[in-house]
Amino acid sequence: MKKKHAQNEPRALKFLTAVSSAEYSKLTLQLGSLIASVFDAHLGVVYVGEKANEFHGTSVNLTRQNLDTWNIIHPGMEVLEWALGELKKLNSENKDLAKITFNPDHVYEEDGRVRVILPNEKGSRVELILREGELVNELRKEIQLEAYDLAIIGGSQNKRHLAHSLIQYLPSSILVLQKFKPRKKYKLLLLVDDSKATAKSVEWGAMIAKKLNWPVRTLTVSKTKRFGSGYQGAADMAKEYFDSRGIEIEQFFLTGDPVRTFVDFAGDDHFVIMGASTLNPVKQLFFGSKPIQTLKQSDVPILIVR
Amino acid sequence: MHISADMIYWVQRKRWLLIAFALGAVFYLFVPSPAGLSIEAYHILIIIMMTLILILKEPIPLPAIALQLIFWQVIIGGSTPNEVGSYFMSDAVFFIMGSLMLAVAIVSQGLDKRLALGIIRITGNKTWRIVAGFTAISAILSSFVGPHMITAMMLPVALTLIRFTPKSAKSTVGLTSALLFSIAYGATIGSIGTPSGGGRNVIMMNYWVEFGSGSLSYLEWIKMVYPMVLIEIPLTILIIIKTFPPEMQILDTAVRRLSVEVAHAGKISAREIFSIILFAAVLLGWISLSEKYGIGSIALIGVFLFMAFGLVNWKDISTNVNWGVILLFGATISIGVQMKNTGGAAWLAGLSVELLQGIIPDIDTLRAVVSVALSGIMSNFLSSSATVAVAGPIVLNLGGDPILLGLSSVIASAFGYFTAVAAPACTIIYASGLVKAPDFLRAGWKMAIMSIASLTLLSLLWWPLFR
Repeated sequence: MKKKHAQNEPRALKFLTAVSSAEYSKLTLQLGSLIASVFDAHLGVVYVGEKANEFHGTSVNLTRQNLDTWNIIHPGMEVLEWALGELKKLNSENKDLAKITFNPDHVYEEDGRVRVILPNEKGSRVELILREGELVNELRKEIQLEAYDLAIIGGSQNKRHLAHSLIQYLPSSILVLQKFKPRKKYKLLLLVDDSKATAKSVEWGAMIAKKLNWPVRTLTVSKTKRFGSGYQGAADMAKEYFDSRGIEIEQFFLTGDPVRTFVDFAGDDHFVIMGASTLNPVKQLFFGSKPIQTLKQSDVPILIVR
Repeated sequence: MHISADMIYWVQRKRWLLIAFALGAVFYLFVPSPAGLSIEAYHILIIIMMTLILILKEPIPLPAIALQLIFWQVIIGGSTPNEVGSYFMSDAVFFIMGSLMLAVAIVSQGLDKRLALGIIRITGNKTWRIVAGFTAISAILSSFVGPHMITAMMLPVALTLIRFTPKSAKSTVGLTSALLFSIAYGATIGSIGTPSGGGRNVIMMNYWVEFGSGSLSYLEWIKMVYPMVLIEIPLTILIIIKTFPPEMQILDTAVRRLSVEVAHAGKISAREIFSIILFAAVLLGWISLSEKYGIGSIALIGVFLFMAFGLVNWKDISTNVNWGVILLFGATISIGVQMKNTGGAAWLAGLSVELLQGIIPDIDTLRAVVSVALSGIMSNFLSSSATVAVAGPIVLNLGGDPILLGLSSVIASAFGYFTAVAAPACTIIYASGLVKAPDFLRAGWKMAIMSIASLTLLSLLWWPLFR
């Protein structure tokens, strides 16, 4: 069930970053924080741990309660505590965030998840959530519950076998960090076609490019030599939008298999933005979609906009 | 019809439920019962097949799996609701319920700090002695009170030692694994030692009585099985130390800091002493009165006394006990009894003997191999208690001595060393996040070989003295 928002209150974007450990999630959190700052968005940080076998649920819960009395906290709480520390470092100018402290005892259990209650959290725009279960299912529930606009997944969660489920079942836009290097100067590659999500991709791409000062390329791929009016119109619209924001772009029109062409063009120095598929879910399940195939075949960060 | 992504998602999440029920429907409607198997028994086996798929893949919660076991028995199993109900609650289920409740009562007393101090006084600060101490104490205590309670009490001690080690987590991976596995494997090998060491032991005792196969008293069980625990303790210590060589030979600082931490608990309180006395009384009751009153009833008397004296409140018990598991064991035992009553268990037992007779001509060896292999393999995927509930009736229908075969089966069901799901102690250390799934494989195969060898020795050299 989605939480209701006051009708006249302008709704800030909400992004969700999935973290798994201090060792593997540093870059994910770094980019999550960066992208959230680009959009001035709220940032939720979620740790999804493995759920204990239900047969032994009593024993595991009992042990956890006993560990509490020894001041040994849930491994997921340790990761969330680390994440808060990292976010403070990354957003040192955020005074509200700097003030808040982590207390593993101050938690609220609701809707099958544990939310860390952060004192003075009003201006900090950060939420810390602990969930247990299968990754895609828990992310889906969290996104539905809090109406997140974007899920940022990377590090150890970036598993190719999950690509299909992540893209097909998460009801938000998705940013998958593949081999993301924070010091690398990426070129933003925007895939433009006649899908509904192209307009939003262009809008988001422009915000990211402007803030991060990344050069922008748009790529339109047709299977035949003829580019239909839908493709041409979308490319024109993108150019117009970027021009209106004073961002220079390079436009490319290529012919061939779309996914193969995207992947070859992206190489290893692009940050790809593309719209989510509008194929019907049954076809996506059996045959995949352009975003699913692109994510499976490429080695660069991909933002799929829904 | 418009198919939404949500519908596809539901189907994807529930595919094993759909597959289980579809397979069940195909067998029920289109595949005739095999020769020699009654139609009632065939339907019970179909229900068991569906249930095993559901337990393995968990597309629905365990309590829901239990409920479908009940209604299928009534709808296609040919049983009346009262029949199913009558097998549902037994002394074994009383015991499982009582032992989970007792675990909540005991763990909440804070006795683990006393335990920690006691262990450290005995072992000192040498790492190998601490690993040995953890293994031996976990095995001995778990043999009487069950592995779940002991692991819940021992894990904080181990994690505190690890936390107080003046080295980074990355440079103490071996030490961490050695300490955690000493608790998990120690508690697991111990859990076969007495009937109260685990729910599966009591399920088998229940089957012996229910099927008219004889019985074993608490002390007789100890006489027959405890030597195996004693053989396995030193071998387990050796396996753990060799598989996970600790990076530090002495844990001087960690032990000192743990002693200081534990000392904060102060002197032992009257409440703690009374809890120990109550639990000792329950143990005595199990040893001396369980034949007359049942091991489950005595566990419930213990829970009653803990509640009556205000040592634990109902809210803590009801919150911490997984009632779904109790429901599932009740349902699994009822289907196990139906499998025996309808002749399904005998048919499966006969089939396995027939299939393997070409490979193992000696019938006694064959029976022993079937009982051990069936339980040993199944327990790595199901829980050990569910394994015995399902495999027990088959094993007891193999022919030969049902007590010895039953004991072999129960002991083998504790060989769930390879995965984190098999034994509660393994699940608990896995949930700490400090050991990984491959660690169970690294040590598990050695533990399995050692355990099979120990069981073989026991059955060839020790059991003939009694039967």
